[in-house]
Amino acid sequence: MVRQAALRLQGINKRLGNFHLKDLSLEIGPGEYFVLLGPTGAGKTLLLEIIAGIHPVDTGEIWLGGVNLTHLPPEKRRCGFVYQDYALFPHLTVRKNIAFGLKVNRVPAPEAEKRVEEMAALLGITHLLSRFPRTLSGGEQQRVALARALVIKPQVLLLDEPLAALDPRTKEALQRELQRLHRATGTLTVHVTHDFEEAFFLADRLGIIDHGELLQVGSPQEIFSRPSSARVAAFLGTENIYRSEVTYTDGKAFVRLGQALLEVETSLRGPVGISIRPEAIILSSRPQTRNCLAARVLTIHRRGLFLKVAVEAAGEKLTVLVPPREAESFAQAGDGRVYCCIPPAAINTFPS
Amino acid sequence: MGKAFKTGNLILLCLLLTFILAAIGTVLVRGLPDLPATFKAPPTLFAARLSLVTSLASTALCLVVAAPVAYALARYRLPGKGLLASALRIPLTLPPIVSGVCLLLLFGTTGFGEALTRLGLRFVFSVPGIIIAQFFVNVPSLLTVLKAAIEAVDVRLEYVARTLGCSPAKAFTGVTLPLVKNGLVAGIILTWSKAMGEFGAVLMLAGATRFKTETLPISLYLNMSTGDLEAVMAVATLLILLSLTSLTIFERLGARLGQPATGEANKA
Repeated sequence: MVRQAALRLQGINKRLGNFHLKDLSLEIGPGEYFVLLGPTGAGKTLLLEIIAGIHPVDTGEIWLGGVNLTHLPPEKRRCGFVYQDYALFPHLTVRKNIAFGLKVNRVPAPEAEKRVEEMAALLGITHLLSRFPRTLSGGEQQRVALARALVIKPQVLLLDEPLAALDPRTKEALQRELQRLHRATGTLTVHVTHDFEEAFFLADRLGIIDHGELLQVGSPQEIFSRPSSARVAAFLGTENIYRSEVTYTDGKAFVRLGQALLEVETSLRGPVGISIRPEAIILSSRPQTRNCLAARVLTIHRRGLFLKVAVEAAGEKLTVLVPPREAESFAQAGDGRVYCCIPPAAINTFPS
Repeated sequence: MGKAFKTGNLILLCLLLTFILAAIGTVLVRGLPDLPATFKAPPTLFAARLSLVTSLASTALCLVVAAPVAYALARYRLPGKGLLASALRIPLTLPPIVSGVCLLLLFGTTGFGEALTRLGLRFVFSVPGIIIAQFFVNVPSLLTVLKAAIEAVDVRLEYVARTLGCSPAKAFTGVTLPLVKNGLVAGIILTWSKAMGEFGAVLMLAGATRFKTETLPISLYLNMSTGDLEAVMAVATLLILLSLTSLTIFERLGARLGQPATGEANKA
């Protein structure tokens, strides 16, 4: 496919209505699938529209490889755009929707037809070509919108919550479809969503965005296990977030949790924040050697396939997710006394 | 109690309907038989022709001006946009005869009017005056219809068109324009039929001179003052038929106009 360039955003500032993007810088590698994850109203759509050139930036620059896009109009940027509700042209058939960009760019008719057919085949929508958008299901419309964006061979593909309006089964199928398309075309993709699963499934790298601020960028694994701030940890559903400090004894690092000191793997010193994922904590009826605290079970609730157990240990409240079978062993003890073990590697530290 | 309420309302509905139909019917009954004959009379023929020409010209002028202005009001972030839109609607709220007075003063007595006259553009007591008067009175309603139609089209359709390679103008003509087609046609018919019937503003600016500025409504007025009742009925009948036809077309297109032009994805 086309030789690809990296997309670089430098110090983007933009105010529009209630949204404010604050000093946002980001570099996305050639052919990378980058997911921006953030709650509704975080400014995700605005950022995509800024990359596409629909809104000018207040300050900052956008580069694609060696080309400065900052002051180019959308029609010169070659960004494919797919909106959450697809924004198909309702007065045109599927075929004409897909061919729209080719026609505008004066691609000769025989070649345009060939490319439309190829793209339709790639997305499995050949049988829909003569239909009108309003007669299609959500998933079908989504495929048409993708075909319309991809057929112009965009340098960058921008996806605005592309799966949010679909039912779970269609969503899963399209998620795999997006992955397959990305592998087939190698197009640099920026995908925004508020859905963790979608983000972790698709992303080469992830960015966490909230209130117009890019909080952390990294691989899904890195962000999930090593959030760099309390805000990111909280957004990712980590319930165990505490203020603490790192002390060193005999060359080993410890953090304080309530009245207890826990061994930890960190290079930070002094006051820090710590976060512990609820599924990384182990509950057992017998004490173990490292980082093990005597605890008392407060409440137990079902959460999906797991049990969500609230315990008190060393004067702090901790939330633990355990499989139901494991819970039986300590529930039998009856008096609610358990041991709560936190592996040093499971304790994430970040500057407070 | 409830029954009396309903009966009362329905009786009034019937009375109102009878009143309207009776008034129009009286004219139609007397005017329809004479229509073919009167239409051969030179004054009526002249008036019909002049009305047709001036109304088409003013409608075209309305369209050329209202379409870009409606787009600006619907799409751009402008400071004080609400106030701006209200100001542009002023002629709609004025009695047409007052609009006529305003135009007469602007084109007759001001330096602007005199400058135009020196350039050979005379609007006072002339055919161009008829067109300007119709334009002034009708442009706000066309503007309102077009603005509503453009606002009903999701702006993101234009955004997508831009990313696919369209200039702003091309995105408008390729995407928005086809989607506002019904609103556009409805607005044009409304404007045209109102122009055919415009009297007050035309009377003030262009005057009422036989075989010069005699449009159909002016002709009706002149015939009335000379007591030619047959001609009055015939012209009135013609104007009524015209209005009924355009009302029907407007309502039909209007019904379809109400349907969302986009954003249907979620309902599919």
